[in-house]
Amino acid sequence: MLEWIKNINKELPEFWKTYLAKFDKKSNRYVVISTETTGMNPEKDVILSIGAFAVVDDSIFIGDSFEVILLQYKYLHDNRLSNEFIIESKMNKLAEPEAIKAFIEFIGNSILVGHHVDFDVEMINAALEKLECGRLKNEALDIDMMHRKLNDITDKQFSLNELSEIYKVPNTERNSSTEDAYKTALLFLKLKSRLGIK
Amino acid sequence: MNTIVERIADFLKEYSPFDHLTFQELSEIAANIRVVNLQKNKTLFQYNDVLHDSFYVVASGVIHLSVIADAEETILNKCHAGAIFGLRPFFAKNNYRMTAKAREETVVYAIPIAVFRPFVANNTEVLNYLLENFATNTPSSTDNENSRGSQISDTLFYTDKQSEMQYFQTLSYNNTPLITTASSTVSEVAQLMAEMRLNSAVVCEATLPIGIVTDMDMSSKIATGRFPITVSVDKIMSSPVITVLENVSLAEAQLLMLKNNVTHLCVTADGTNKSNVKGVVSEHDLIVAQASNPGVLIKEIKRSQTSNELKQIRVRLTDLIQTSIYKNIPLTHISNITSEINFALLKRAIELSILEMGSPPARFAWLSIGSQGRKEQLLLTDQDSILVFEDVATEKYREVKDYFLNLGKKTTLTLEKIGYELCPNGHMASNMLWCKSLTDWIKQYDNWMNTPGENSNNLSSIFFDYELVFGEQKIEDAISNVVFKNANNNTLFFDFLGNDALRKNSPLSFFKKLILEETGPNKDKFDIKTRALMPLIDGARLFTLSHGIKGINNTYTRFKQLAINDPKYSEIYLNCAEAFLTLSKLRTVEGLKNEDSGQFINLEELSKIDKEKLKNALAPMRELEELIKNKFQLTQFS
Repeated sequence: MLEWIKNINKELPEFWKTYLAKFDKKSNRYVVISTETTGMNPEKDVILSIGAFAVVDDSIFIGDSFEVILLQYKYLHDNRLSNEFIIESKMNKLAEPEAIKAFIEFIGNSILVGHHVDFDVEMINAALEKLECGRLKNEALDIDMMHRKLNDITDKQFSLNELSEIYKVPNTERNSSTEDAYKTALLFLKLKSRLGIK
Repeated sequence: MNTIVERIADFLKEYSPFDHLTFQELSEIAANIRVVNLQKNKTLFQYNDVLHDSFYVVASGVIHLSVIADAEETILNKCHAGAIFGLRPFFAKNNYRMTAKAREETVVYAIPIAVFRPFVANNTEVLNYLLENFATNTPSSTDNENSRGSQISDTLFYTDKQSEMQYFQTLSYNNTPLITTASSTVSEVAQLMAEMRLNSAVVCEATLPIGIVTDMDMSSKIATGRFPITVSVDKIMSSPVITVLENVSLAEAQLLMLKNNVTHLCVTADGTNKSNVKGVVSEHDLIVAQASNPGVLIKEIKRSQTSNELKQIRVRLTDLIQTSIYKNIPLTHISNITSEINFALLKRAIELSILEMGSPPARFAWLSIGSQGRKEQLLLTDQDSILVFEDVATEKYREVKDYFLNLGKKTTLTLEKIGYELCPNGHMASNMLWCKSLTDWIKQYDNWMNTPGENSNNLSSIFFDYELVFGEQKIEDAISNVVFKNANNNTLFFDFLGNDALRKNSPLSFFKKLILEETGPNKDKFDIKTRALMPLIDGARLFTLSHGIKGINNTYTRFKQLAINDPKYSEIYLNCAEAFLTLSKLRTVEGLKNEDSGQFINLEELSKIDKEKLKNALAPMRELEELIKNKFQLTQFS
């Protein structure tokens, strides 16, 4: 409760101040995000990769995208996990602080969209805390909630694969956060037009 | 590089004109794409809209391009996955001349013109492709019929187009011709030609063509004994050979052949006989390029070796049907031709199975039943068939049945690949129940006809519409004899069929409104198959059987024949015949539009006149029903 007092004297990182300043205006840009994590616990687990696409005016901008692998050597080492995929991958690799910083710069004041987006936001917040920043200020939309709202379903959750099936988004055999973000983006477009969201 | 960029580049690579670009270039394009999702019936751009800054590639779904002329919407093209459209901004500055609308939920890639233009400028093949595509997507106001003729849904088959435009398009021809030297002997060359299944060989001297040998030369000069088979090939070749440039047009090739009275042209790098051989154009190539004309299709079917080739032909048949319908060729004529081609396809599918399995151990007959048997299959609907084999000794029975079941399975699978869906009720020769010996079949028909209702769950009236596709005519005759023998004065059987015919749901409500589907995926559409066509089909079958009319399976001709045999009610029959045509046509048009079986009609898309036509066509059905009720005492089963 008194957290804000703790931070009041602390100088916030520069990128965070820029981020906060962006919220003076409202955004018409959506950013569809997907994270790949080591587990489901925001306290203990860490983010392995982030994929994101921008959506403006009912279309996905492939060029306006974000993709990064986080170098979690410490976590992987502590938990005796293989880091092979990081070495193999050709994608952009950054250490966690740089990756989070780049991600914050990418999203700006856009509205976030994701599948069970609360969890993604929690994970990012946990990472932000390590950098002594505040929590994300962006609005967030969940495509599962959108689907349930559209069909008046309250007693059931839908996985990304189930949603893909329902809206006939082709499933791919490869699974990465970027693939998931792209699928989520397509689902978002479909749900968006069905719900009539501008 | 982003994985999605890679995936989109992979997708584009499969289609023209992107296949002319390197993966690197494609990735660059893909990185700048916008992905747009269009809900069903959403318009992407409209006639007279300001040009967009991008053109489009369909990623999934279907986009219809249409123009509105004389207050009637005409579909110019259907764009499927991989098709490009909306090229106008490349070549023109004024607004769009057509409307692009999503027929179903569709995802398109929008490629910014600014990004793509440099690739066009640096790559003539891409430019040519775009120009060509732009031309076929443009309605020509002077000759509407032609632009309709060229509306091939798939941009890959541009050799099949029929319009004048295409007449001047380049030909596709054999570009790996058989090349031989002047000193080879005739028998060697003939051997090679036979192996490669070619009907010509180019004779070259140091890579330059000096003559050509064709089947014609072989038969007129060798087979007649004028030259011995061991003579060197330069003695019998036609020389000099007529040479043409690589991108020879259909018209030009045809003229050259007529002028020089030859059947083959040699394609060379610079069009003279002083450069390297690039290929051979044969008369056959000209015919293929000219049209999807029925004769050519049948010829090609007979030549096909794989289900894939047959599938291509079936696709062209659909185009043929579509053009014919738009040109208002009578439906009876179209369905005659279509059924001929369908039968040729079936026949070839069976032949291919037999080629693979070895010759059958007994004589047999493959009968098409249902719509195929009635020769009413215009669209791709499901396949229904039965197989009857002659009686064999008991100890051999198992083996023989195994062979035919296997034949059935192979053939139905081939047909599925061609595009005929498997029958959901399993009415196919691959089913144990419907692949049996003649005696068993005769028993089966006896059972059905003398004790209908007892095991009626098996009895489907489609078994009484059969047509021989392949095998022994005598077997079909034997079945017909049983059917008509049993039909004679068999009130019970007609009672059953009559009830079956009347049980179909009525198409009009009490207030003379069309009854639409209330639930399911086809909600608010009119089920033209079960509510309108089936009652007529059932009625026609019932009356022909009771009048003992043999050998006529087609519903239209059945009614026509009935009008002659039963003059008292001829008016009703003739009305039914006409109604049947109208309804079939409505169904076919709907099916072509949606690329399905056309069973469900979306009334909202129907013009007012068509709606009236539909309603009027439903009227004779009432009279037919009354006639059935009067003629047969439908008491036992009602």
